[in-house]
Amino acid sequence: MKDTIRDAPRAGELICSREAISPMMRVDTVVDQLFRKQQKETLALVEHRQVHGLAMRNKVFSILFRRFGFELFGRDPIIAVAERNPLIVDEKQPLEAVLDLAMQRPLADIYDEIVVVDGNGHYQGLLSVKGMILAQGNVLANSVVQQELALTKAREMKKISEIKSQFIAHVTHELRSPTNAIIGLAELLRLSPEGKLTPEMEKQLALLSASAVNLRAIITNILDLSKIEAGRMEVRSESFDLITLLDEVAETTRVLLAGRPVAVRVVTAMSELLLDSDMIKVRQILLNLTSNAAKFTEEGEILLRVTEERGAVLIGVTDTGIGIRDTDLEKLFVAFTQLEDAQTRKHEGTGLGLTITRQLVHLLEGTIAVHSHFGQGTTFEVRIPRQSGEREKRL
Amino acid sequence: MKKRVLVVDDDPKHLLTTRDLLELSGYEVAVHNTPFRTTEIVQTWKPDLVLLDVNMPGLAGDRLCGLVRANGNSRNVLIMLHSSNDEESLRESARHFAADGYICKGDIAGLRRKVAAALGC
Repeated sequence: MKDTIRDAPRAGELICSREAISPMMRVDTVVDQLFRKQQKETLALVEHRQVHGLAMRNKVFSILFRRFGFELFGRDPIIAVAERNPLIVDEKQPLEAVLDLAMQRPLADIYDEIVVVDGNGHYQGLLSVKGMILAQGNVLANSVVQQELALTKAREMKKISEIKSQFIAHVTHELRSPTNAIIGLAELLRLSPEGKLTPEMEKQLALLSASAVNLRAIITNILDLSKIEAGRMEVRSESFDLITLLDEVAETTRVLLAGRPVAVRVVTAMSELLLDSDMIKVRQILLNLTSNAAKFTEEGEILLRVTEERGAVLIGVTDTGIGIRDTDLEKLFVAFTQLEDAQTRKHEGTGLGLTITRQLVHLLEGTIAVHSHFGQGTTFEVRIPRQSGEREKRL
Repeated sequence: MKKRVLVVDDDPKHLLTTRDLLELSGYEVAVHNTPFRTTEIVQTWKPDLVLLDVNMPGLAGDRLCGLVRANGNSRNVLIMLHSSNDEESLRESARHFAADGYICKGDIAGLRRKVAAALGC
């Protein structure tokens, strides 16, 4: 809005005349200028840059052309018949304020020119009230048109954004359906009676399952990003057992590892830990972290550690993967950013996972932190309140 | 006696995959590829659990849920939505149409776990 609606002009920008004459100029000379030769409306009487008054055609006229007026005043200095107390405004005053002042004058003086001075009180020029009213009208018309344009544009953007969200919802559903069929069919193959699959086929099948499960996670992230962008991400709390959820996440992570020698373990002394939160989002946060860990860990282990804190749970996801350089840590949560160059990188990904993860953590009123030793591994730590109120929240 | 599961889905790939997966888990499974006549099959075959796809031509599975239950004899049958919809909308549908739960397609561990939990196995 700021860029499109022009600010109302200031007094200094609307000056219509900068001419001035000496207050001591003789009336008959001024009359020449006002009536005969130059047909001026108003002349400012200025000496040493100070304004002493205004010689206005209509007012001078009414004095001089009364009976004996010209004879009486013709040889006097013009200041004798001038308006001595004209309205004086600072050049920085906005148009609206100047108009207000002008309109507060007695009816007979409303259309008198207004003197503009600078910060030092030095004469700058004259404002014509008629000119200002015209300018005011333009500003109003302009701002109405600009507002209308801005509103129309905003409505269009909203519509486009809705269409985009619907499109993404539709496309992700269309993508998810065949992906799920692939996952199911791969699982059926894996369950074939013993002896039917060669070890080589088993390896291929593990990769097939891992790829399909990974694709499914990417689709979910894309839809979530779209929901977050559209401000349509809602939190729905329910009571669930975090330990069961962690076991479930560990199981999916093992599928993603596709047979690599990496152990996935849930480390906790508790057999049950009830949480009142949005289970779908907690699961996605954890899956995003473990699938990252799985992506960057060739061998070793991925640990899901859970501890209780006052009113919150602390979940750590630790891997023995490639680790992250200190200088790269700040880039981690930026959408579409990957630490490796897209052309030559070894590890694939959309660069969405951690951005969405952080948004989801914030939505649950939690925090996320990362510690890493390059070459040794990484730990992500998520703190989530044990209870989060049910509400609709916009990011 | 084996527990009975009826799977209703218009997509034959999902219908057969789900049937095979559940049969391998030891259930007796029947499949039906349209929402129509589902209430009738529920009454005659008397499944313990019905898995309903959500997006089906003619009648969405979440609405079908209410229709199946409207019949006096089938009021207590367990019904779960089984769909490729995103999990959050599936969770909403399950709440809204008072299904006994939902299962995301593609979540095979979830399918096994939730069916087992629902049927008390």
